[in-house]
Amino acid sequence: MNREMIRLTVNGDPYELLASPRQTLLDVIRGPLGLTGTKEGCTTGSCGVCTVHNASGEAVLSCLTPALEWDGEAVTTIEGLETSGRLDEIQQAFIDHHAVQCGFCTPGVIMSARAVLNEHPSPQMDQINDGMSGVICRCTGHIKVREAIRAVGSKLDRRV
Amino acid sequence: MLLPAHDYAQPGSLDEALALLNASPATSRAIAGGTDLIYNMRGRLEQPELVVSLRRLPELQGVRQLSDGSLRIGAGERLADLLRNEAVQRWSALAGAIRSVASSHVRNMATLGGNLCLQTRCWYTNQSEEWRAGRGPCLKTGSPDCHALPGVEVCVALNNADLAPLLIAMQATATLASAGGRRELPLEDFYTDDGIAHTVLGPGELLLALTIPPPPGPAVYWKHSSRTGLDFSWGTVGASATMADGRPVALRVVLGSLTTRPLLLDAPVRTILEQGLGDDAIAAAQDALRGELGALTNLYTPAAYKRELARILLKRALLRLRES
Amino acid sequence: MSTEARPGVIGRRQPRLDGFEKVSGRAQFTDDVVLPGMLYGKILRSPHARARIRRIDTSRAERLPGVKAIVTGEEIPGLMFSKHQPVLARGVVNYVGEEVAALAALDPVTAEDALRLIDVEYEPLPAVTTLREALRTGAPQIHEHAPGNIGPVKLQDFGDPDAAFAASDLVLSDQFRTPMQHNTLAEFHVALADFSDPQRLLMWTPTQSAPMYQKGLAQGFGLSDSQVRILYHHVGGAFTGRGRPKPHHFIAALLSRKAGRPAKIRATNDEEFIVFRGSGDTHYSFRTGVTRDGRILALEADVTFDCGAWDEWAMILWLPALYLNWVYRTEAIRYRGRFVYTNSVPKGSHHGGIFGRMSAGWMQHINRVAEELGMDPVEFHLRNAVEQGDTTMDASTFHSCGLKDCIRDAAERAGWKDKYGRLPPGRGIGIGIGAQASGSKGASNDTSAAMVKVAEDGIVTVYTGIPDMGQGSHTAMAMIAAEVLGIEPADIRIVAGDSEVTPFDWGAFSQRGTFTTGNAVKAAAEDARQQLAAVAAEALGVEPDALEFCGRKVWPAGAPERALAFTDVIGHTFNGLEGRFIMGRGFFNSPRKFGALAFSFGAQVAEVEVDRETGEIRVLKITAAHDIGRAINPLAVEGQLDGQVFSGLSQVLFEECRVEGGQVLNPSRLEYKLPRTWELPEVDYRLIETIDPYGPFGAKEVGEGPIIVTMSAVANAVADALGGMVPEIPMTPWRVLRVLRARERHGAGPIHPPGLPEGDQAA
Repeated sequence: MNREMIRLTVNGDPYELLASPRQTLLDVIRGPLGLTGTKEGCTTGSCGVCTVHNASGEAVLSCLTPALEWDGEAVTTIEGLETSGRLDEIQQAFIDHHAVQCGFCTPGVIMSARAVLNEHPSPQMDQINDGMSGVICRCTGHIKVREAIRAVGSKLDRRV
Repeated sequence: MLLPAHDYAQPGSLDEALALLNASPATSRAIAGGTDLIYNMRGRLEQPELVVSLRRLPELQGVRQLSDGSLRIGAGERLADLLRNEAVQRWSALAGAIRSVASSHVRNMATLGGNLCLQTRCWYTNQSEEWRAGRGPCLKTGSPDCHALPGVEVCVALNNADLAPLLIAMQATATLASAGGRRELPLEDFYTDDGIAHTVLGPGELLLALTIPPPPGPAVYWKHSSRTGLDFSWGTVGASATMADGRPVALRVVLGSLTTRPLLLDAPVRTILEQGLGDDAIAAAQDALRGELGALTNLYTPAAYKRELARILLKRALLRLRES
Repeated sequence: MSTEARPGVIGRRQPRLDGFEKVSGRAQFTDDVVLPGMLYGKILRSPHARARIRRIDTSRAERLPGVKAIVTGEEIPGLMFSKHQPVLARGVVNYVGEEVAALAALDPVTAEDALRLIDVEYEPLPAVTTLREALRTGAPQIHEHAPGNIGPVKLQDFGDPDAAFAASDLVLSDQFRTPMQHNTLAEFHVALADFSDPQRLLMWTPTQSAPMYQKGLAQGFGLSDSQVRILYHHVGGAFTGRGRPKPHHFIAALLSRKAGRPAKIRATNDEEFIVFRGSGDTHYSFRTGVTRDGRILALEADVTFDCGAWDEWAMILWLPALYLNWVYRTEAIRYRGRFVYTNSVPKGSHHGGIFGRMSAGWMQHINRVAEELGMDPVEFHLRNAVEQGDTTMDASTFHSCGLKDCIRDAAERAGWKDKYGRLPPGRGIGIGIGAQASGSKGASNDTSAAMVKVAEDGIVTVYTGIPDMGQGSHTAMAMIAAEVLGIEPADIRIVAGDSEVTPFDWGAFSQRGTFTTGNAVKAAAEDARQQLAAVAAEALGVEPDALEFCGRKVWPAGAPERALAFTDVIGHTFNGLEGRFIMGRGFFNSPRKFGALAFSFGAQVAEVEVDRETGEIRVLKITAAHDIGRAINPLAVEGQLDGQVFSGLSQVLFEECRVEGGQVLNPSRLEYKLPRTWELPEVDYRLIETIDPYGPFGAKEVGEGPIIVTMSAVANAVADALGGMVPEIPMTPWRVLRVLRARERHGAGPIHPPGLPEGDQAA
């Protein structure tokens, strides 16, 4: 089994590490990189707690992709949403709207929500539903999650 | 549910990839989006010794409009990118079908080729290795028994490739590539009735591209699943028609997810071509389904429901064609 | 001294205090903890529903480099998980997934690879994997102590049911079934044990109740409670699923003891469906006797539970008897419950407990009784609903009760009068009502204790043993303490999650958090306040009970201009001659001998649309009205309501473990269906605040009451759309079509669920 040195930019930080074909992107993020904000859930692509962003700010499932496939790529995790110690507005909206309960799915849910807003700065409800259907949040039933996303979206509306 | 041991290669060109696959066709697998392969590797339904990455192969990318209006789409195109493509957006049924696949998370990774090559699914088989030990092996995992339809000799796992029914209805052509060369075939001939070797892909062969002719008339797609987001379908229908004076003069209807291969309907279509799209004709077409479905399984939904659903899928597709 | 609620902290829409940690990815869950030298454990499970273990050969696994410990049942003969049930199987296995052996290795890959090298030889035995098979005459008997596979039985009469049924003008009965269901908690089951010192077990794990885990593990390993330390970080959901330690907790400890290093076990996707004890297949028979004018005289429920291979959770058996007392006034109640053993994973409970599942059928049955009488169900509920001041036959007293107001409010806001019986085909409207206890005393006490530490800078630390699994208890506790001390929730630090640090608290189950722990925290804060009041009173020259604490200030009532800063009061004593450090303590235990002290109530109206061709159901709207006492934090209350509406409709319409041969065919987040964003209905809720005399600031539970009501409302709405009772959940498209076909053939009469064997009525 070949192990390879890969280069990975995570949250703007460059890493070089040895990865094995048996490791997923999730394994590397949580293991050697120690970024445990990203959670391990079903590992089969159904729960969404492992969601991170690719270089284009799209939501991808880190549990379903081999680490070696990401050589040379850039990834953003929940830890990378803050800018100079300030929460991203979607993170703040999750607090304000009580879109967080147990918090286990929250990093994945927030990364998904951020991805919706990246693609649709003022998302319609069906765009929110589509973008969020890849995650499960049993606690909130997604209701206040949608509220929080809409709140950020409509703030953008007003700025225009 | 960790990945089994394997080697990994990231070739820089299609020829290099095909050569790698050709060197050990039985024990190597290609990875594109990975959403299906990694899932199946975790469950050890797939245990390749070599995984060949298609990630950086330009030959599998791109959407091109051909001179006859056809779209030629590289099999490695991500579903999310296709949804943003203007040419694809113009064909609303196709865009709708792509949007119905899984979740946006999955579509940001999964490719057209991956969806069309999706492994067949069976709830006795698509489980972890530990789970399967409780049931014992089956046709797919090395025994003469089938747990889904006891007594059958050919694997009856379901084909859940959401895009296949519509693309078959739209008369898409698949381009296959191997170290030995390329070949083209109608997409309906890409699939087989065997849940194990469910496509005609030969050893070391890849799905390279799809060519979709411009729709001659209305095309419709409908997916029925437990919920709208992130679900394999319980049943899908794709249909494409050439209309003259409100009547179809050419029609293709394909049902997906009910059986091992997408079903290109025959008798119901003949009924419609003969009788038109009136209510009675549609009812007659529904009745004509009877001989087309064959044995149905209880996988994921009861067989009786699948039978009922086939009638509804057909009816709704025809009604939408009528309304269009 | 008055600490009654006033414009202050209580009732404020307070964002949760752990929000920052959680949204930023900083919140630490058990699987994020990596200890030095930690090993990774895996459990080998039985592939058979019932089999004799002939031989276990671990030698190949032992030889794999990196494997540090292997355990089997034979080497730990005394270690029992419950009375008859070993932690690791010995001699026989009784369900698919039963723990047979386990190992720990340096890394997860080695652990998983090594597990494949353990060879077990089984001799399969005849198994019974369903209720039907288990109850059949001559069925293989699973346990020597249980002839006919009948487990514990509970028979309870209140009043004289025979006489009350005889006196009834109309007696109706219905049958109903609920399937095996699973909670799909966000955070998978995980246990990290450090038992390197065999006299001291450290266990990091998500839990609803540190004492239950502590006592369970101590008993198993022959330790005293204090030799077991339970550490829980953030807890990723629980929904009744983390009430007691599971086999993997014991096994992680065993592996750690044997290897002399910490060991972590985390469940995989499909293992979750084995580790977690969800609810089992359950059959219900309901019977109700009423007078012609719609008064309930007698209620009866007969419930048969598939408890799996072992009866792990006895409480579920007797709870329905109590519940039948809490919703309607009646003269008599009869309950029969029984556990039946099957060769399947032992069962526990699901979100909403037995009440929600039972209500999905019971409320449909009650609805049918009303309609049979020609009464509008809303009128029928109002005619019979319990009221404030009622004392029931199970000796519960409703010191506060807004049930009738909830019914009226929900019905009015939903436009019930205009819609009931008047909707177009394919549409349905249904009402559900329900009650839930705030905490419940069983055989032992129901104690929560708390401590409060007041630092010199005015920051107050609350030490509590209540876990926050998302419900928001820690924020609620901070609000309660802040209200008492007249400071802000942001001034409060919560210390929780360590059984060695926090005072005793049974934890977060039976909806006791806000009510019981809330009272304890309130008492502890009042104790601290009393100490501060004595200091302030002296400084201000007034009586201690004439002081107001508000806005980080303390002043004599009516003279806010003389206010002292909260920190100045602390300074007066801490930096004064006395040098006293302010610490408050408090505890709460219900004065009742048994049962609950307060009850919440609610009513919901659901509206649904049914596609009569595909059988799909869409919930359009839920209108909810709930009496939860005073809402400490309305924002969090809404969150609780949202989650329960979601989970309730999910259970009624989607969730089912599809089981065959004792094996779950859909053990995944993909195939075990739950709705997602697209399926959410519009939810419109209103709180009917009654002020409970025993609740902290009048508060009652909101942890499980609403889901019970959602389940019955949605079930009734579907029944309305389909023209009669739907005999089982989830109401999948194929079941909907089956009911529609049956209605076309047989009209509106009762349709029975797939039943138990003929003639099976013997207890």
